[in-house]
Amino acid sequence: MSGDKHFNPEKIFFWLFLFTALEVLWGYAFGVWFHPGRVILWGGLIGFALVKAILIAQYFMHFKFEGWIIKALIVPTPFLVAYILVMISPDVSRNDHLIEPIGSMYDQEDGTVKEDMAELSHSIEHASGEGGGH
Amino acid sequence: MSSAIPAYDPSVDAPVHHHPVYDYDSGPPVERGKFAIWLFLGTEIMFFAGLIGTYIVLRSGAASWPNPQERLAVDITAFNTFVLITSSWMMVKSLFAAEKGDQSGMVRWLLATILGGSFFVGIQVYEYIELFKHGALPNVDIFWSTFYAMTGFHGLHVIVGVIWLISALVSAMRGKFTPKNYLGLELAGLYWHFVDLVWVLLFTIVYLF
Repeated sequence: MSGDKHFNPEKIFFWLFLFTALEVLWGYAFGVWFHPGRVILWGGLIGFALVKAILIAQYFMHFKFEGWIIKALIVPTPFLVAYILVMISPDVSRNDHLIEPIGSMYDQEDGTVKEDMAELSHSIEHASGEGGGH
Repeated sequence: MSSAIPAYDPSVDAPVHHHPVYDYDSGPPVERGKFAIWLFLGTEIMFFAGLIGTYIVLRSGAASWPNPQERLAVDITAFNTFVLITSSWMMVKSLFAAEKGDQSGMVRWLLATILGGSFFVGIQVYEYIELFKHGALPNVDIFWSTFYAMTGFHGLHVIVGVIWLISALVSAMRGKFTPKNYLGLELAGLYWHFVDLVWVLLFTIVYLF
């Protein structure tokens, strides 16, 4: 570490502390107490998280003070991440078979979606009983 | 008068192998250790991107998703996030002390960092135990399976980080880090800050979204 890498760690810590507190408040305010919409909730949360991540990387990890080779190593990764997400999204998030409420089960016997496990268990037992009879 | 005949030295006739001498350094323009750790962190970014990306894609593909704030103890985890951020700041203080040659300061701040990391792991273990008691097992639904996959792998990284920091603490106590050479401490610190950075993102995505 050379002399030109000095910064005020307390200042960065203060901002991280403040942004975390604001982020939690934002989460409760727009996720639990009020419901203005996901865009406001998620936009704020992503904003706070990204600012904190950038502060940690730039100052605590000294990324700001590193040479071109470290930057060339790390800068492409967020773009690769975004590329991967875009590429796998059509296979998963736009797959109609997966769009069911979390916790529900697809019953292969009658082709319907059961809302709870009890219904499905009954179907399985019923199906196995019928299978044993044949 | 007799002249002394020197003993035969076979190396005199041996072919001389010269290493090529360049007027530039063929290595990366940074310490090898630092280059290696950043390369490793690049792979770690992709690893966590796989986990977080899977969560985002699965969640966006689900017709409904439970409110995490109704299933998880956000207040305790928010406090735990403060602890991890504080430990990251203490790691910076340890590095600054090492740079100034403040041996006791370096050890003291490093010890505090380790305690912060250990506290974080303890709280996470407590959270898991409480969730298990309430039947929130990884195989219950996709919310819990993604939750345990992401926080569990991060927890493993924190444990590895604490072990690494303990190893650095032993080196520091033995006086192996000097103001001119404390790369070992810096590399452990880079990993620790990365673990903190990932948690900042995970906390937002898993607990607050």
